[in-house]
Amino acid sequence: MAPNKKVILRGDVNRIYDDDYRRAQQAKKEKFFIRPSRQRKMKNAKWFSIGMGIDLPFCLIILILLIVGTIMMFSASYAFSYYTVGDSYFYLKRQILFIVIGLAGMAVMSFFNYNKLHKIAPIVLGVAYFALLLVLILPSGEGGVKRWIPLGIFNIQPSEIAKFAVILFFSHWASKYYNKMQLPKYSILPGVIIFGTIAGLLLLEPHYSGIVIIGVLTVIMLYIGGMKTKYLIIGAIALVGIILLLAVTGGLSYAMSRMDGWGQALTAERGTELWDQTWQTRNSLYAIGSGGLWGLGLGQSRQKFLYLPEPQNDFIFAIVVEELGLIGAAIILLIFALLIWRGITLSLRAKDKFGKLLGIGLTAQIGVQVVLNILVITDWLPNTGISLPFFSYGGSSLIMLLAQMGIVLSISRTANIEKQ
Amino acid sequence: MADKEKQPIEKHPGNSKKRASKGPKQRLRQRSTILIIIILILGFGATLTRLALLTIVQGSDLQERAVDQQLADTTLTAKRGTIYDANGNVLAESASVWQVVMAPINFKNDEQREAAARGLSEIFGLEYENVLEKTKQKSYYSVVKRKIEVAERDKVIELVNKLSDEYNCDGVISLLDDYKRYYPHNELASCVIGFAGADEQGLEGIEVQYDKYLAGTPGRIVTAQNARGTDMPFAYEQNIESKDGNNIYLTIDQNIQAICEKYMAQGIADNNVLNRGVCIAMDVNTGAVKAMVVSPGYDLNDPYTLPPETQAKIDGLPEKEQDKAESEALSAMWRNKAVADTYMPGSVFKMCTASMALEEGKVNDNSTFTCAGSMVVEDKEMHCHALGGHGTQTFVEAICNSCNPAFIQIGQLVGMEKFREYYKGFGFADKSGIDLPGESDDMFWDEGAMSKVDLAVASFGQNFSITPIQMITACAAVANGGYVLQPYVVSKITDSKGNVVKSVEKKVKRQVISKTTSDKMNEILGYNTENAGATAGYVAGYKVAGKTGTSEKIGVEEKQSDFEEDYIASFCGYAPADDPQIAMLVFFDTPSGGAYYGSQVSSPVFINIMTEVLPYLEIKTNYSEEDLKYLDTSAGDYTGLTTEQAVAKVEEDGFTASVKGYGEKVIAQIPAVSSKVSAGGSIVLYTDDESKAETVMVPSFLDYTAAEANSVAAQYDLNVSFKGAVSSGGKCIEQDIKEGESVAPGTVVTLTFSAATNSGFND
Repeated sequence: MAPNKKVILRGDVNRIYDDDYRRAQQAKKEKFFIRPSRQRKMKNAKWFSIGMGIDLPFCLIILILLIVGTIMMFSASYAFSYYTVGDSYFYLKRQILFIVIGLAGMAVMSFFNYNKLHKIAPIVLGVAYFALLLVLILPSGEGGVKRWIPLGIFNIQPSEIAKFAVILFFSHWASKYYNKMQLPKYSILPGVIIFGTIAGLLLLEPHYSGIVIIGVLTVIMLYIGGMKTKYLIIGAIALVGIILLLAVTGGLSYAMSRMDGWGQALTAERGTELWDQTWQTRNSLYAIGSGGLWGLGLGQSRQKFLYLPEPQNDFIFAIVVEELGLIGAAIILLIFALLIWRGITLSLRAKDKFGKLLGIGLTAQIGVQVVLNILVITDWLPNTGISLPFFSYGGSSLIMLLAQMGIVLSISRTANIEKQ
Repeated sequence: MADKEKQPIEKHPGNSKKRASKGPKQRLRQRSTILIIIILILGFGATLTRLALLTIVQGSDLQERAVDQQLADTTLTAKRGTIYDANGNVLAESASVWQVVMAPINFKNDEQREAAARGLSEIFGLEYENVLEKTKQKSYYSVVKRKIEVAERDKVIELVNKLSDEYNCDGVISLLDDYKRYYPHNELASCVIGFAGADEQGLEGIEVQYDKYLAGTPGRIVTAQNARGTDMPFAYEQNIESKDGNNIYLTIDQNIQAICEKYMAQGIADNNVLNRGVCIAMDVNTGAVKAMVVSPGYDLNDPYTLPPETQAKIDGLPEKEQDKAESEALSAMWRNKAVADTYMPGSVFKMCTASMALEEGKVNDNSTFTCAGSMVVEDKEMHCHALGGHGTQTFVEAICNSCNPAFIQIGQLVGMEKFREYYKGFGFADKSGIDLPGESDDMFWDEGAMSKVDLAVASFGQNFSITPIQMITACAAVANGGYVLQPYVVSKITDSKGNVVKSVEKKVKRQVISKTTSDKMNEILGYNTENAGATAGYVAGYKVAGKTGTSEKIGVEEKQSDFEEDYIASFCGYAPADDPQIAMLVFFDTPSGGAYYGSQVSSPVFINIMTEVLPYLEIKTNYSEEDLKYLDTSAGDYTGLTTEQAVAKVEEDGFTASVKGYGEKVIAQIPAVSSKVSAGGSIVLYTDDESKAETVMVPSFLDYTAAEANSVAAQYDLNVSFKGAVSSGGKCIEQDIKEGESVAPGTVVTLTFSAATNSGFND
């Protein structure tokens, strides 16, 4: 280690670690998976911090959410499934298959050395762009919307890849240029370019909620990456200004009416086009309202009987509230909160900057998605396909989600919470 | 734009930059903490707030809307309550029918649509094109046909099976329970019962007045149906059962009602009444309406069909006026004249004027009034119907004569202020409050606007208008000791299981005259009837009190009858006079036959009705000697006796004997043992077989009075038995054995008598 480097970057342990990593990578001594010899240390390991083992509480929370989510997915889907496929267990069976694949993926990823991702971060971003372009070329799906790439048994949502790509890329970027992130050139510029291009492509699908998620994730990544708070405040003022301007000129209500009847679910007149557009949101609100404080009881939802279309997908939480009530919803939100808290705190104890940023980003993504999903089903955001992690039915997103959780678990292997 | 979504909430850590300068590692830790706070507190806080708003604040509203939606297509019609008469006979009830509904969104292809449309149009005789149009709708619920009966239902089930088997088309056509209203007696009590519409909503009469009781609560099956309107395959315990409507028991007695309707129709026909007639029978002591007739009525099972002559008149109008004319004619036909229309009571009102004068002590038995045929009040000359005048008369005579000048004087004795007070007291100033829709207000002079001339004419019931129900209520008050009662037609309401929901008790509004005055009035009006006989409503065997009335219709736009003016002929009375039980008002609006006086037109109808109703009510008879002559007695058993013994026994029983043949013993008799024979009839006793071959021809008894019939019968060696209004000057209208038939001597011919109309006047 060069002494002058130490002087310049005093205190920046991570940077040194990253330099070490780069050197080690050049030497190609690093193994893909953690060496079994290191696992011998696990003899003295405790449950809550297993040395090179995964973080057990985080893993347990994931499993709890998966179990609760699957039960609710089954409850929400069985009527829809019966009427559309003729088999009440259709979605359950497939979801269990995806869970098995996803858990396998999670286990594999937890042994995968996440530092390898450093190198492929730009490649993943390229793949995301390719997918976003590809979906626009492919023939459009229902209602002229282009959100899915059909892959035989799977459908892949390019925005799912884009989300992961953005988190990965900015983790890579910010850990690489961590001390330069204060400069707009290294923070604002890449942020605007990447978000701008992805948002433009998503606008063509159109996929407004995807834009919102990507935007929020970009801001989060830049913020924890070290961007100056000043720019955040300037951006916030600009945003508020635009919204005020739209509200004054009446453009806001026009924009709202263009977005599939956003905010007008309860005022739409029966028999109008708006009534049909807001059908799903309205029935979601009906379901949530029917739940009340204690809910109608597990399996007792009425709205799932074809009133709420595809209740197993994005709007599953409406059925959850209808059956389990506000209390049940609050408990589930509490479990999600524990997951996010644990995920971020364990990531902070990662040995390197990249791991910290990646772990926080992947965990925060779940929080953002939960919040946005519930705001969509409650009509505070336009209705445009944000799934609820661990609950919504869907092969590709669930497998990707569990794989990403595997990465967080892999990060947890390098972080010994108990020691710090 | 959207990437700044998160920014407003991230501006809180304003001094993070300062802390961040402590070192990059410290900065990441701080910013992560802020991120956790933002996501967990702001983000999750917002979602929880929103969820709480929806579940707690808006919860009940949203739940209601959700339930409405879930149940909108699965509403089951509740069975509408039954309407019974006072004795529990059904007057209106709902029977099960079905409605055929379609969920066209479940059709998978045009082949299915065409098959269904073809089948449905064949079953119901509908336009194929129209049905096909319906099958193309994108809807879960479309009514094909309502109120279908069993035969059609079976065909629909067949069609559903066929569609399922041949076209693999399920969940499209379904049958829902529905009900249809039936009125078993068609026209009976049409003005009281009213009718219900296609959705079983009450439209007229009791059906609308008590709609909320009758309608019940529609049933809902949450479990049974999903958004497509088909049955759910899962057991589910969220049923809200339908609650059948309550049953209503009327005070109307079907039998009394039928009797009244029969004679009212006869009165309408006999006198060519142009503006319908009204008859109300009321229990004097409770105010319960026993019968209410507006004649002619209409068929409750077919309320939208006008009488042929009215329809013909409308068809003759220009096309654009037809719709309006038709709806006007219908509402006129449905209008309950007994409560919704007013009329001038005329001389009937004199019973109230007389009561006031008695109560106030202005008159007594010794008061006398002079009538010179007319009387001048403030330059206005008013005539009495007796042009020559009644001379000097006592109070009672003045009532019996129905003398207008006498009543002008009585009115003057009472005075304007007291007259108005009693008018109010008898309940003419307020609605009677009867539980029937559309009750009308009276029309009377305002305070201060009543002149002496007005008082004079009001004394004999002219120039102000009241409803028939007010008149009969006031009449009941005169009869029952002065108690003004609340008239009512519903006695109790029970739920579908028979538990009493509401029970109506007699309600006394006030006492307007004293018991003494009431008793006196009963005596006077009873005397009036007895004295004047048939023209004043005399009913054989009963003490009846009553007053006739003939009012001029003043202010009518267009005169309809051929008389000098249009008249309302009415009669208001009650029985028995010494212990009043039932009061009855009969009036005919604009008779245009041979007569128009109340005594000629309405009294006979009153007599005929009372003659049947009083025995039905088991009211004790009180025959006069005259009446007894026509009373039937049972023939005894005279066979086996010797001729002498038999003759002696026959005479002992009050008959005359007529012996046929030459045997020593009576071997047969006509009439047979126990048969009804009028007092003084002849019993033919046969003593040998040859004599039995003898026959006599039955003569015609039609149009004879009872006395005449008796003598004719005696002439022919026949017996007669009397039915109906015999001693009130009635004439025979029917005989049970036809004229010219040969029968054995002594055979009983049953004669039905009816009080004849047009038999003199006294009004």
